[in-house]
Amino acid sequence: MINEIFFLLVFPGLLAAAFFGLLYEGIARKITARMQSRVGPPVWQPFFDWVKLMSKENITPRNGVGFVMTLCPVIAFASVLSAVVFIPVTGYSPASFSGNMLVVIYLLVIYTLSFAVAGWASGSPLGSVGSIRELTLLLSYEFPFIVSLLTVGFMTGFTVSPFFALRLPLAFFAFLVSVIGSLSLPPFHVPDAEQEIVGGPLAEYSGPRLGMFSLAKAVKFWVLISLGTVMFLGGGTIEWFLIKSLALVILVSVAKTVFARLRIDQTFRLFWLVIGPLALIDLIRVMFGLV
Amino acid sequence: MKASRDAFCPKSRLTFLFSPAQIIFMHEFTLPIGPQHPALAEPIHFRLKVDGETVVDAEMHLGYNHRGIEKSLESRQWFKGVFLSGRICGICSQSHTATYSQGIERLANVTVPERGKYARTIFAELERIHSHMLLLAVAGHTIGFDTAFHYIWRDREYALEIMELLSGKRIQHDFNTIGGVRWDISEDQIHKINQNLDRIEQRAKHYYKIFTKDRSIRKRMKGVGVLSRKDAEEFGVVGPIARASGLRSDLRTSGYSAYSHIDFKPVLGSEGDCMERFLVRLKELRSSVKIIRDCLANLPAGDYKAKLPLVINVDKGKEATSRIEAPRGELIYYLKSNGLTPERVKVRTPTFANFSCVGKILQGTQVADAPITVASLDPCIACCDRMAVLDVNTGKEKILDHHELDHLFGKEHHHD
Repeated sequence: MINEIFFLLVFPGLLAAAFFGLLYEGIARKITARMQSRVGPPVWQPFFDWVKLMSKENITPRNGVGFVMTLCPVIAFASVLSAVVFIPVTGYSPASFSGNMLVVIYLLVIYTLSFAVAGWASGSPLGSVGSIRELTLLLSYEFPFIVSLLTVGFMTGFTVSPFFALRLPLAFFAFLVSVIGSLSLPPFHVPDAEQEIVGGPLAEYSGPRLGMFSLAKAVKFWVLISLGTVMFLGGGTIEWFLIKSLALVILVSVAKTVFARLRIDQTFRLFWLVIGPLALIDLIRVMFGLV
Repeated sequence: MKASRDAFCPKSRLTFLFSPAQIIFMHEFTLPIGPQHPALAEPIHFRLKVDGETVVDAEMHLGYNHRGIEKSLESRQWFKGVFLSGRICGICSQSHTATYSQGIERLANVTVPERGKYARTIFAELERIHSHMLLLAVAGHTIGFDTAFHYIWRDREYALEIMELLSGKRIQHDFNTIGGVRWDISEDQIHKINQNLDRIEQRAKHYYKIFTKDRSIRKRMKGVGVLSRKDAEEFGVVGPIARASGLRSDLRTSGYSAYSHIDFKPVLGSEGDCMERFLVRLKELRSSVKIIRDCLANLPAGDYKAKLPLVINVDKGKEATSRIEAPRGELIYYLKSNGLTPERVKVRTPTFANFSCVGKILQGTQVADAPITVASLDPCIACCDRMAVLDVNTGKEKILDHHELDHLFGKEHHHD
């Protein structure tokens, strides 16, 4: 019992997920900054930001709907935190059951939906446009994301468990690209394009609400990175896990640095016509036992 | 206007549930950009009438940053006015002081020594380099390519270093004065300038490669915000925008300053889209480096400014116009003398000429393309702010003509 509570609240549950999420975000920011030939914020900056946001006040715009604006960040945070439980970071997860991979996929969709609702509830035209784009982006990356996970799922019985996917390079590639899309990082940061719609769904958010969203974002980062580490890179002991996941963080940061933002229609076309079919090739190979 | 805003911002708690449906089935709504907006460095207000993600119509409102510089110039003696004219624009302060000085030189029949003319040309081209690099960096930022922004911004320092070397200041140089320039260029400085020019040329080549080869940049800029040659002629656009549409509009060919002694061809494009406008600027970086090198190699000996009395008296009522190719296009000053001070100074900045085509090139683009389309015009908003009278009761804006101004303010005209 004590073990389970420790697992849920400390490691790799609430505390560890929040800690590593914010830390990885800081590391990604630092790497990006160095590649852009600037100094960049300290690695701990996301922690400082979070503490500051939580100590500020919530502002509800005149057209905003207060309780929905409060509910959305909580739902977003709860959904990604639930997903953490299913990922066997140390090779073991007490919540593990056959087919839990599908639950993880659902939980990640709930996160995006709460983002979209948050944009509409804030009552701002910029937030609304951001919400539409958020959903369109969801529709785009979800296809290659699910297909690439299913490819590995066929091998592991649709359970999140360690698997080494060197023989499935296309699925791994599709997974990485859709992870970047799912985190709405460049080149897919269409929903929160600050030059066009001023941060999109979160344009009107402030204080603890924004703090919860930023924490949820960080935990999602951790979830996706650890999902990739477990399902495609084989997980391993805690040291190996950290090394492999850091490698993924570096890959994501490089992608973040070298691209301009695509338009939403271009994003959609890229995911459905290029990345998705690539993942499908590996899925078909697995289904016919050609791997 | 009000109705469409209400549709977006439902007041009651129940109606918010319908807003997704409203957005999908609603035909048009207005998306405000500015006066305060992260993509805008200066206050300007765009109203985009949007159908889904397509821009149907665009409106532009100016007047948030009006400073009354033309009026203040009228109360300053000729020499002092030159400093104030540089404050019209932070980025093209060299062009403004040069144009104003050139106008006064025409009024007072002053001949600028050859060395002064060459120095002005060198400085004008340095300004073109730093202004174009600034815009290219902003363009990178506008399409979400922050790496390009940081790199180009960093390399722009090479041009600023040279300007600091020559004038002691990075941005507000006050390099020109009536009858020449304020500081001479020494041999040591020429050596350092050449070193930095090499670096600028090398980086300009690199960025040209990036802008032409990078797929994500090409996807965002190619075929966006097209201004055909015919439209460019009709709207009377100037500078790199006109040249990108294939118009041969470059005042430097008229040979003011030292341009008549220098072998140079204006850079011309043909496509007229955002991509072409940036490529024209990238090519101009290299042509500017070449012009500066030529000027430095053939720098004539002698005085760098004419000897003039501190107080210049020009015959009352005498008029002159002065035109220069600023980084953004043709800059025009009209001067009328009142003896020791100007009676009237009228400035036509290139941005003001280029803004005429905003509505045209925004029509039919996507919302996502609007920022880069506007940025490709290189708008300098402080330069072109005008005053308008707003009728609070009807909400109508009006630009007053000369007689109405007389009527409103008596003899005190309120100009730009």
